[in-house]
Amino acid sequence: MAEVEETLKRIQSHKGVIGTMVVNAEGIPIRTTLDNSTTVQYAGLLHQLTMKAKSTVRDIDPQNDLTFLRIRSKKHEIMVAPDKEYLLIVIQNPCE
Amino acid sequence: MKKERRFSKLQVISAKRPQETGQSCHCISFSAKVKNFSVGGSFRDNWGQRGERGSDSVKVTQQGRTRFGFQARDPSLKAGASPFKGGGGICPQGSPHRSGGPRSLTMMPTSSLSFPPSLPLNRVGLPSILLTTGLQYEQDASSRLGPEPRDNRRKEAEPQGVVSLAPPRSRSGADRKKGRRRTGSPIHPPAAGETQSLGGAWGRGRPPPSSSRRPELPLAPPTLCPPLRLRPPPRPPAASQPRGRLLSLGSTVSMTPGKHSGASAGATNLGVGVQGLQKQTGKGWSTTPPASRHHAHVTGKQPQATEPRIVFDVNGDDVTPRPLCHLEHGTAKPSRLLASQEGSLGSEHFISYSPFQNTLHPTMLGQLTRSALGSSTISKSSLSTTESIAEDLEELSYKRERLASFTDLRVMRTTPGKTVTKEELEKTIEIILTETETLRLFNLPTVMVSVESEEAEKVSRRNKDYESLCRNRLGNDLYVERMMQTINGAPKNKDVQCDRIIKEDKGIMSTTWDLYDSYNALELLSLQVKRSTVDSSNRASVPSKDRDQRGPGSTTEKNSEASSLMDIENVILAKMHDDEEDHSDAIFKSEKFHQDLFFMERVLMENVFQPKLAAYRQLPVLKELEPKKPEDFLEGENLEEVQKVVKKEEEEEIEIGAQQSTIPANLERLWSFSCDLTKGLNVSSLAWNKANPDLLAVGYGHFGFKEQKKGLACCWSIKNPMWPERMYQNPYGVTAVDFSIGAPNLLAVGYYNGTVAVYNVQSTSNIPVLDSSESPQKHLGPVWQLQWIEQDRGTTGDDKREILVSISADGRISKWVIRKGLDCHDLMRLKRTTASSNKKGGEREKKGEALISRQAPGMCFAFHPKDTNIYLAGTEEGHIHKCSCSYNEQYLDTYRGHKGPVYKIAWNPFCHDVFLSCSADWGVIIWQQETLKPFLSFYPTTYVVYDVAWSPKSSYVFAAANESRVEIWDLRISTLDPLIVNVANPGIKFTTVLFAKHTDCLLVGDSDGQVTVYELRNMPIVSDSGRRDMIDTLLGLRPNQPG
Repeated sequence: MAEVEETLKRIQSHKGVIGTMVVNAEGIPIRTTLDNSTTVQYAGLLHQLTMKAKSTVRDIDPQNDLTFLRIRSKKHEIMVAPDKEYLLIVIQNPCE
Repeated sequence: MKKERRFSKLQVISAKRPQETGQSCHCISFSAKVKNFSVGGSFRDNWGQRGERGSDSVKVTQQGRTRFGFQARDPSLKAGASPFKGGGGICPQGSPHRSGGPRSLTMMPTSSLSFPPSLPLNRVGLPSILLTTGLQYEQDASSRLGPEPRDNRRKEAEPQGVVSLAPPRSRSGADRKKGRRRTGSPIHPPAAGETQSLGGAWGRGRPPPSSSRRPELPLAPPTLCPPLRLRPPPRPPAASQPRGRLLSLGSTVSMTPGKHSGASAGATNLGVGVQGLQKQTGKGWSTTPPASRHHAHVTGKQPQATEPRIVFDVNGDDVTPRPLCHLEHGTAKPSRLLASQEGSLGSEHFISYSPFQNTLHPTMLGQLTRSALGSSTISKSSLSTTESIAEDLEELSYKRERLASFTDLRVMRTTPGKTVTKEELEKTIEIILTETETLRLFNLPTVMVSVESEEAEKVSRRNKDYESLCRNRLGNDLYVERMMQTINGAPKNKDVQCDRIIKEDKGIMSTTWDLYDSYNALELLSLQVKRSTVDSSNRASVPSKDRDQRGPGSTTEKNSEASSLMDIENVILAKMHDDEEDHSDAIFKSEKFHQDLFFMERVLMENVFQPKLAAYRQLPVLKELEPKKPEDFLEGENLEEVQKVVKKEEEEEIEIGAQQSTIPANLERLWSFSCDLTKGLNVSSLAWNKANPDLLAVGYGHFGFKEQKKGLACCWSIKNPMWPERMYQNPYGVTAVDFSIGAPNLLAVGYYNGTVAVYNVQSTSNIPVLDSSESPQKHLGPVWQLQWIEQDRGTTGDDKREILVSISADGRISKWVIRKGLDCHDLMRLKRTTASSNKKGGEREKKGEALISRQAPGMCFAFHPKDTNIYLAGTEEGHIHKCSCSYNEQYLDTYRGHKGPVYKIAWNPFCHDVFLSCSADWGVIIWQQETLKPFLSFYPTTYVVYDVAWSPKSSYVFAAANESRVEIWDLRISTLDPLIVNVANPGIKFTTVLFAKHTDCLLVGDSDGQVTVYELRNMPIVSDSGRRDMIDTLLGLRPNQPG
């Protein structure tokens, strides 16, 4: 647990990292470093997107699975590590 | 309750004509019903056999088998009620022959039942009786309702005392004579204060003025036969007359049948009076409804019977008819009525008679109110009224007596009720409620009329009229079909509270992976369940608590063979439940999350260090594009500019490429592996993983004995320069690390205390899989170098076995074999042997030094790249011994050249005859295997050279790290000056140097715990072709070098 906390802290401290959040399977944020509204927005939208992406991946090959989702945008890169029970979302500005 | 019982009705059930029986027997049966008892009976009189009759009425009763008894539930009543004993009698008047002579029978029992036997025997005997009774009743009822008028009447009629109505005998005819004789009782003037009793007085001893007084009688249109009921009025319980008087009354009231028969033209009057006793009759009139208490009197009125007479029969017996029951005074009026009806009856030929069709006499209208039946006729003549009133006055006393006698028993019963003692009050009174028998208010029996008779036509006509009337009257039962609009049931709003209805929307999209998953999940679960069942069977005795704690998978394994499905559900539920409970905790604790974090960090690092990493991997670096891109979008106008810029950049790159020759090679710092943990620690050794070129093992530990801090061995990945993948912390400083070749996941770590530990970097545990700390043969000094060597085992050379070789400050070179734990064999014990060339001096020195230690601390070693049996070992003395694994006592050769401890020896990867060594004597020496003297010596600085490494790319290039700087030497370019010099920051010593295996990068470890990655830039291009030649050239340098 402490290790996890440490890792999360480290991640947050990395260069360009804007926010880190952990979202549970229902799309409810259980840990975040961002403010509330942003977190909720990210959580809700990314949850859907991830589910869709996962579904897509698995539709192509049922034995395959989505392990990571990176969304590169002009401003950010949103990285999502999906799991059955949670989503780990990190938003980073790589050009910083 | 019982005390208030009254006669509710008296019913004459049947009367048989004597002619029919052939015995001229007249039989009358009657019954009177009271609520809780019944008075009933019948008597039969054998009319034709007068001789058989007793002289007195009592006798007659016996002879005629007349049963006359009261049947009552009350035994006392029964006992005392045999009224005939007390003088009841039936006196037939006239012979009972068919000619229908007038006959009168008077029964005068205490019950005052008078019965006129003058039935129209030839015709309808029975109805006539019934009729009379009915009428009697009616009038009686009506008379009760008007007490006040009666008072008036009484005054008028006071002197008369007797009212008698005589039916018009002429009309009725001989065979149909019907007389209503009122079994009147002599009227005594009522005592003062008793005037309330208003009942009619018994007409008696008065010439019947009825005919004259009732001119309106014919007007009475009784057409239908009235109900033939005698309703005994309720008895007044208050009456308390001695019985004896009653008897006397009976005698006085009795009429004279003989006279009757003779004088009244054969009119036989049968008076039947059933007297119900009434409590204070006068008062009761108005209050009590006639239906409930009424007097029923059937009185045959004998006009002549103004005085009491005694009738004797042939035998001289007294056959004076006596009233069967005493009539109340109130019955006087009924009698009149009856009389009046008689007239009408006569006119109507007695076919059918309905009392409710009687007309009210106008004179009586004001005085009498109607009874509930409302149909009774009021007496038709005022005259009779006056008479009756007079009678009333007379009769009052009689009445009383009679009442009393009639109900003496009841009176007896009632009286104790008045004087209630305490005991009685407290006593439990048993009250029996019984159902009364049917109370008939109206009965209309059939009246038969002979077809041949005169009235037949009339009767039939009337019947028709009646039928038509019934048919047409409103509310008959004719069936009519009608439409009906019914009112709709009024709707009622009701609020009902119920549990919330849970709605669930379920959308199911079955995708291929969904199917796959569900199929797989079933399999997995079944497997799980199987396992759990096994578990449960094994732990059947485990208490439930433990079972609960065992976790979701095994919570429900009881009889899971039968209920595997349920188990599956339960498992899922339990899982879900657990998840809900410590959802976040579970997530944070899950390994997957940890891994995801790990990857996430790497990804972040990748983003952060992307250009550096690209440079490291010698990929084109897109450093300029990213910041420019937004501008492209933001400022479309500047596109050209941007393009220009890009062009410029390209040009610059080209220029750079062109300048490469001109720009000296340099070291570009990319990044450094460091973190908080490693800060301040000395990097003691570096080692690449043999399988994964991105994995670097770094040992941290200070070299000096006094500087010892904690030790750390880390595995760094290129992908995450900010945090090591693995950390193995140890209280002792790490002095050497190396990855295994055959099993790349094994990392050997040598500690300053001489321990050699082997870690499995695949697992995350920090515990070494193998540890030599317990081994008796472990090193006693710091393990300065470790190396995994694949050694030829046999002669064939194919069978290779990997061994771990370590060199320690205790002067041993050991071989560690992994079997059961770490087995240690000494490859060599380094002795302090001076150079063979200078044996004597060396021996001397040795002797001198031997006092301290016979062993020469080994600092480093290097196995020959080709022949793994040959190795070089550098010692603290500065010697480099060429050893063979086959001999652990002797050196093959000893290279002397260094004046200080040899810190590192490295074979040239291309030219296996050349090796490189560095020492604390500030020098780096290139040796040729065959030559025991240094081939090339470099002393560029005055600092200890800790490490040297050959470049994997070029046989001419090596790197050396001394305390102050890192030098890259290219022997082809210069053997005098290093090609690149990278000066360390002040206070930081470079301790280790290592080339990246596949790229032009150099890793330099320093004393601050940083492993810095440098990119070798603008290195002189090395033609791949003819490396061998280059080696030759290198070797060929030798003659030039000295020169």
